[in-house]
Amino acid sequence: MATLQLSGVCKSFGTTPVLHDIDLDIGEGEFVVFVGPSGCGKSTLLRLICGLDTIDSGTLTIDGEIVNDVPPAKRGIAMVFQSYALYPHMSVASNMGYALRLAGTPKAEIERRVEAAANVLRLGPLLKRKPRQLSGGQRQRVAIGRAIVREPNVFLFDEPLSNLDAALRVDMRAEIAALKQRLGTTMIYVTHDQIEAMTLADRIVVMNAGRIEQVGSPLELYRRPANRVVARFIGSPRMNLLPGALVGDPAAAEIGVRPEHVRLAGVGHGLAGTVRMVEHLGSDLFAHVEIAGVEERVVARLDGGREVHVGEAVSISVDADTSHRFDAQGKRMAPAHNDRRTA
Amino acid sequence: MFELSQRGPRILFGLTTVLVGLFLFAPIYWLLISAFKGNSELYRIIPTLWPGEPTLTHFSTAFTRGNLLVNLKNSLIVSGGSAALNMALAAYAGYALAKFRFAGRRMLMIVLLSAQATPFGLLLITIYPSLVAFDLLDTHLGLILASIVFALPVSTYMMFSYFSQVPGELIDAARADGASELRIFHTIVLPISIPALVTVFLYAFMWSWNDLLYSMTLIVSEEKRTIGPGLLLNYLNETNADWGGAMAASLVASLPILIAFAIVQRSFIQGVTAGAVK
Ligand SMILES: Nc1ncnc2c1ncn2[C@@H]1O[C@H](COP(=O)(O)OP(=O)(O)OP(=O)(O)O)[C@@H](O)[C@H]1O
Ligand SMILES: [Mg+2]
Repeated sequence: MATLQLSGVCKSFGTTPVLHDIDLDIGEGEFVVFVGPSGCGKSTLLRLICGLDTIDSGTLTIDGEIVNDVPPAKRGIAMVFQSYALYPHMSVASNMGYALRLAGTPKAEIERRVEAAANVLRLGPLLKRKPRQLSGGQRQRVAIGRAIVREPNVFLFDEPLSNLDAALRVDMRAEIAALKQRLGTTMIYVTHDQIEAMTLADRIVVMNAGRIEQVGSPLELYRRPANRVVARFIGSPRMNLLPGALVGDPAAAEIGVRPEHVRLAGVGHGLAGTVRMVEHLGSDLFAHVEIAGVEERVVARLDGGREVHVGEAVSISVDADTSHRFDAQGKRMAPAHNDRRTA
Repeated sequence: MFELSQRGPRILFGLTTVLVGLFLFAPIYWLLISAFKGNSELYRIIPTLWPGEPTLTHFSTAFTRGNLLVNLKNSLIVSGGSAALNMALAAYAGYALAKFRFAGRRMLMIVLLSAQATPFGLLLITIYPSLVAFDLLDTHLGLILASIVFALPVSTYMMFSYFSQVPGELIDAARADGASELRIFHTIVLPISIPALVTVFLYAFMWSWNDLLYSMTLIVSEEKRTIGPGLLLNYLNETNADWGGAMAASLVASLPILIAFAIVQRSFIQGVTAGAVK
């Protein structure tokens, strides 16, 4: 277990800046998830923490010690790669024991630790196999096992589940959640997957274009996004944005409303629109409504029992209580009618 | 695999395949049948396409006349040594070019490939005095060192292309596990590069085995002579030419290469890297 601190970390590749002035404190045993659009620098940040790339400026501190110049293996960190990166010519056991062998750990100790990790991950019967004789899920477990064996203070995961199919992903997600419970180690986890982020994270770090947009617990980010980037990134389907003037709030540039907070009614009860698409998921129903003056179709999440048809003329309305106000720069604004809120 | 059903492409592809096959196979066929023909049949004006009375006399001359076995042994030493050296150099250089950024990297690649375009005879002009200076003329070591010029540039490029495809994450994983760069190369990258290494070894081996110019120029002692000059000087000289003997001896001389290819072919087929990523 360890604390980890990034302060003023910058990184450029050649003349292209990739990370700008990253500040972040990660507490002992915390599970932190990095999310953000593709190319925003999540992997780069992870590689800096691991020590695979060098930090241009700023400091990385682990357990109070600056480790900018400490080689990867001496940082007490283990990383699980997106492609698994198993050594193809080594057996599962050798893969898992490689780091320990390099560190000169006694053979008996290596065996004990490999076996212990194999038990945790149900890899026992596979120890003698080569990576090519394993399924995708098994390979992923070996990759995680290889990290566990080192008994690191910090785990880094770079989109570990993105190569797996949906069903397996759910299983592995549960497995990682169990691992977090069991080991209590500090973990940093990169993902594109909303559900992974929301279910696994103690705190989510939303990144965009090399900057941290917001850091907070999953529900904090969902309920009080600091700006429209975060608002749009967290939650699926994403938050609807309506021009403030259109919904009677000209002080705000944009009003954000989550699909579950959009109310759909017959004509004449709010903004007039036309249903253009209906997605029925059984329990829920998503109605995509075209509204004059709104660029994107507004998505309303409705009860699965509702009857909505494509082409139907409807009206939508939103509540001030459940909507988010953003200024012209996209920053969150205070609620307009403080009196209506119960503090 | 596809079924080729269109007629035009079918004729084109079929014809070129047959032509290439004939071009490559005809000389070998000629060598084969000539080695088994008696002298009277061999020197007929209108040649036969199949030995009328197959005979092994040329083979007995091949093994009694000249030093075929000594030549073969020398060639194995020189070609094996040269191929091994070539493979090692190509592997290290190719890895550096593929996986590390350094000043002049691109320039080096260009120089490397243009080196291949220089005629070997021209290179001999500088190699010869160099060997003299190091007292390596007329030694196997000298010939081994000189022979790497044939295959090294292309071998390095072959290793470079292969290493470029080794996933960066694999190397990063080993770095994170605490392996030094050399260790990564030796314990992770090389073991998964065996097919490429074998290819490069064979490629260099062939160049050296088939060489005549260098081995004739740089080796003068009879007992150190390799197979190329050996065949030429024993069977085809100013005064006479024993074609039958030359063919039989050539057949014996090509066997090692044929056998090597047959054995090694298997390792090309196996996907050694399967399971590393994805
Ligand atoms: N070695 C490199 N050389 C140059 N540019 C790089 C290098 N690695 C990454 N980049 C650039 O840095 C930026 C951030 O890349 P990074 O891989 O960190 O993104 P990411 O957030 O992990 O994206 P993804 O979600 O697609 O994995 C990208 O614009 C990428 O093109
Ligand atoms: Mg990435």
